[in-house]
Amino acid sequence: MASQYMLPHVQQPPSFHSTASQPRQHQWSPYTENGGVILGIAGKDYVIIAGDTRSSEGYSINTRTARKIFDVGSGIVLGVVGMSADGEELARKVARRIDDYKRNHDKHITVNAAAVMLSRILYAKRFFPYYCQPLLGGLDEDGVGAIYTYDYVGSFEREASRAFGAAASLITPFLDNQINLKNQFVPGTNGDEPRKPGDLPMDRVEKIVKDAFTSAVERHIEVGDGLQLVRVTRPPPREAMEDEEEVDEREKTAGGGVLTEVMSELKKD
Amino acid sequence: MSNPFTLNGGACLAMAGKDCVAIACDLRLGQQALTLSNNFPKVFNYGDVFLGLTGLATDVQTMHSLFRYKVNLYRLREEREIEPETMANLVSSTLYERRFGPYFVSPVVAGINQRTGKPFICGFDSIGCIDFAKDFIVSGTASDQLFGVAEGLWEPDLEPEDLFETVSQTLLNSLDRDALAGWGAHVYIITKDKVTKRLLKSRQD
Amino acid sequence: MNQFPHGWGRPRDDVYGAYDSSYLNSTEPVSHTQRPIVTGTSVLGVKFNGGVIIAADNIASYGSLARYDNVERLLQVGTHTVVGAGGDISDMQYLHLLLDNLLIKEQYPADDHALLAPQVHTYISRVLYQRRNKFDPLWNSILTAGADPKTSEPFLSYVDLRGTTYTAPALATGYGAHLAVPILRRHVPDEEACASLSQEDAEKLVEECMKVLWYRDARSGVKYSWAVVTKDGVTTGNNKIENQSWKFAEMIKGYGAQNV
Repeated sequence: MASQYMLPHVQQPPSFHSTASQPRQHQWSPYTENGGVILGIAGKDYVIIAGDTRSSEGYSINTRTARKIFDVGSGIVLGVVGMSADGEELARKVARRIDDYKRNHDKHITVNAAAVMLSRILYAKRFFPYYCQPLLGGLDEDGVGAIYTYDYVGSFEREASRAFGAAASLITPFLDNQINLKNQFVPGTNGDEPRKPGDLPMDRVEKIVKDAFTSAVERHIEVGDGLQLVRVTRPPPREAMEDEEEVDEREKTAGGGVLTEVMSELKKD
Repeated sequence: MSNPFTLNGGACLAMAGKDCVAIACDLRLGQQALTLSNNFPKVFNYGDVFLGLTGLATDVQTMHSLFRYKVNLYRLREEREIEPETMANLVSSTLYERRFGPYFVSPVVAGINQRTGKPFICGFDSIGCIDFAKDFIVSGTASDQLFGVAEGLWEPDLEPEDLFETVSQTLLNSLDRDALAGWGAHVYIITKDKVTKRLLKSRQD
Repeated sequence: MNQFPHGWGRPRDDVYGAYDSSYLNSTEPVSHTQRPIVTGTSVLGVKFNGGVIIAADNIASYGSLARYDNVERLLQVGTHTVVGAGGDISDMQYLHLLLDNLLIKEQYPADDHALLAPQVHTYISRVLYQRRNKFDPLWNSILTAGADPKTSEPFLSYVDLRGTTYTAPALATGYGAHLAVPILRRHVPDEEACASLSQEDAEKLVEECMKVLWYRDARSGVKYSWAVVTKDGVTTGNNKIENQSWKFAEMIKGYGAQNV
């Protein structure tokens, strides 16, 4: 039944009936689009997930302070763009399932296990999908940054970087160039030796992320207002911490990584 | 077949620098997903002025011959080369003549005014509305990608060699994310007394 | 004794007759709300220093007919919450029923715990989201306004028929989102601005916006209800838009009545 209701981006123009007298019925759609863009970048020992904080519907800005990146527990972050109601529902569900896992198994879920779980959650609604593109991030069992990206119905992949949402087409090639160093070569090799990606320090990546967003804000009306940037990093080593209790608490709540959130401004026009 | 602007694919980009401009295009000609040719340049010059044309390939060729004809007549009547500002108005009025049956093209004009030495770039919609820009102009099936990368890489007052690098990186990285454009590129770096044309090697997929 | 477990706990056929299952095989299609019928228009809300104000007019329209002119669209829920609804009036009244029942169910006078605006808002948003998942939406846009009785922290949030929720310093539903929100945002662009907005100024601001809506929203009316929530509880009142004038239109050529 649900499949007859199409996702907003594949909606077809209304069909015209042959008989003019027949009334055309407005069809209600359970889906809407709230704009915005998110991106995730995985580094050697960190993950950065960022999103703008504008939420819109058509040409109206609903709010300038909507978060799209969620702390779902166990040191895992989830970013969602698309329909915000579905996105928030998905984040709640994932957070709940991650909490269940911890209580049932007395250990934190790993990012790769959480990634499979999210895939199943999405596929469970195969015939009435969540209208949102999720991006899951965290540190894997080796402490290496991991970003998992999904489509609406749960097919997923681990990637080094990915942008999702309204301005994804603007940001993606910029990330290809600046993060994955595509079309860049080692100077003096006459274009024979490509530059190797993968060892960018976190502060450099954060600068690139901010540039990507300020660029997207200039050219896309659904992007702007504020930037929410969430880092997942390794917890400081044990000996660096003074209080033993604090160590335990930190490890209990953080799982593989420690989350820090930075909010900053973007243009509001 | 439904959208003539995306039937054949292709992309074009112009950027302004310090006393220089650059204009570049890809080389693909396709029909939907099928690539027909990898030697279909979309940037042409009429004297000192450069014109990039993306959109329906037949209209690209038609407009090219039309402007060659019009600029030749201009040269005979005025006994001088056309300036980029004049070219912009010529393109605009030519497109608006076909207001209700337009050429399916998105033109880009780039050049240096030979009298004032001022760099000039502008773009158009298919019915002749001029977009004067002081930074960059994009057009074609990769325009979203070009907007995103150009907005991130461009900065004011680039010297010719830096402008070449900026234009090339912008174009190549955008083409790699567009299935309908790519297969090599032409880049023109234009200063008041010199034009450099380079052929870029790019992904062939 | 009946040896078949499926019969256990059921009315016996030999005593009560066979179960009449005809109603299960009804040929009538299940009808869902496909469109709103009797509707209310915008609801406005603004946060100010120490509280929040919310307002909605008293018209209920049947298409373009102003069918009812004395409808209350603001509902006080508990001690520190007011819910204002736009959209279908019957769905609003059903939601009022749910909220009344919720309040009774969650009332535990002994433990000093009461439902506050965030809880009420979450409840409404879950109801609306579940109904959209059933393809049987409650056709409303709803503002929930409240204040924390201890901290006076104001609360204001929106939820609609698809379960979309958001919060902002100033909110409005329906036409208010297009006509009133730009005016409200001039005064309260962010949370800091709310902290320096007095209750009197907030009341004046809402009055101004209700007037603008009266001018330009054809489904609005002159009478409206308002409610202010602070840490001391809810104050409500009714107001009537006054001193309206289309005189400005005469100044604009080709707009108002002209003698030229």
